[in-house]
Amino acid sequence: MQEACMEGNRVITLAPGDSLRKLFMLREASETSLPVGHLVMGAGSKADITVIVMPGVSCDIHLTVDMEGPGAECSVQGIYLCPDEENVRICVDMNHKVPHCSSRQLFKGIAGGSSRVDFYGKIIVSKDAQKTEAYQENHNLLLTDTARVDTKPQLEIYADDVKCSHGATIGRLNEEEQFYMRSRGISLKEARVLQMLSFVSPVFGHIPEPALREEVESETEKAIRRL
Amino acid sequence: MSDILLEIKGLRASIDDKEILKGVDLVIRKGEIHAIMGPNGAGKSTLSAVLAGRENYTVTGGSVTFMGKDLLAMSPEERSWAGIFLSFQYPVEIPGVSITNFMKTAVNAHREAKGLEPLKAGDFLKMMREKMAFVQMKPEFSKREVNVGFSGGEKKRNEIFQMAMLDPALSILDETDSGLDVDALRIVANGVNALHTPEKSAIVITHYQRLLDYIVPDAVHVLKDGRIVRSAGKELVAEIEEKGYDSIN
Repeated sequence: MQEACMEGNRVITLAPGDSLRKLFMLREASETSLPVGHLVMGAGSKADITVIVMPGVSCDIHLTVDMEGPGAECSVQGIYLCPDEENVRICVDMNHKVPHCSSRQLFKGIAGGSSRVDFYGKIIVSKDAQKTEAYQENHNLLLTDTARVDTKPQLEIYADDVKCSHGATIGRLNEEEQFYMRSRGISLKEARVLQMLSFVSPVFGHIPEPALREEVESETEKAIRRL
Repeated sequence: MSDILLEIKGLRASIDDKEILKGVDLVIRKGEIHAIMGPNGAGKSTLSAVLAGRENYTVTGGSVTFMGKDLLAMSPEERSWAGIFLSFQYPVEIPGVSITNFMKTAVNAHREAKGLEPLKAGDFLKMMREKMAFVQMKPEFSKREVNVGFSGGEKKRNEIFQMAMLDPALSILDETDSGLDVDALRIVANGVNALHTPEKSAIVITHYQRLLDYIVPDAVHVLKDGRIVRSAGKELVAEIEEKGYDSIN
């Protein structure tokens, strides 16, 4: 694995067979970007990147992944919690340049207050990248009328034998669920916490190390309880 | 002390400016089981929703007193803590929330409202196992997401399981028999009967006689067009079955 800096952008190059696991937790207002901007993946390499954006953090996250060797596998996922005036921009370019690579993206976020979220996710499958599997999902919960989420999932596919999908949703907390929980004595506040936790929890499943996963879960839960 | 548990006086309620309940009066004493029957659209489900505190209905008149307190001033969760339980006609699916987590949160909220400490994990699991066995739910269900992918019968058994966990003073069973086959109906009815004590009351809302073959009511009321038009003993069930709702006014 090699790290380099090009035009202010940190590049990590994974040699064939390398694997990389990174968790980035953005907790402080000063953390406005990721320390990695570009990932180049060799044959059979594996990358697993999790990004958690905590309340109070405005950031511009830009990640480009170039899959240059066959059999590379990349998974990028994240949670963003934006209860106030945050401005969060996430942009992922997933470039499938060669055959037999797979990628998964899952971003889930909660926007309240007058926060603003922009999600741009692009999957590009080159003409030669047959047998590509590429999936991308972005789901958002809006807590207020004044928060704004724009999500633009994009697929550009130039090969014909691929499995690709993308999906994006923007929704609100379901009131039927809330009434059901309240009718069992769960307070409205706690019902909302359960809903928000269950909404973001699929992302935790992507964090392989149990100890790290628990730490992230517990910190996220604390943040959600304060929303 | 009064043995009146619930007193409904002149209750009127509407949804989207359409009046559904047009003056309902009902008194339920401790230990009594009341059946509310009526044709579709009579307001049966509206009555149960208003009692449980559903916010999309507007109460436009009348009063509801539960254990001496103004029920209509309470939030849905406060009503639950006070001892009201609604078994939903259409139980809601809650993706991502396990039955264990859901019930632990609910039971501990009830305990907190009573000033008690949260239940110890071991005691809670023991209680879950007992109550699940009681409605013949397999232990694996505790890990499942609430009602997600459940069959009709499983959903209704899950309602009665929750009722057993929360031990309410007044259970309102809204069309619990709808969508149930005979075996599931028997399990549900046996559950309700086993939970019934001289201190506990129930309102059984149903369109048909068949649930009342298993849960025998002390009183039967016919709700038509937003009003209770007839109240009698359990013999009224047979009359309805024979003559239909049209003849009852």
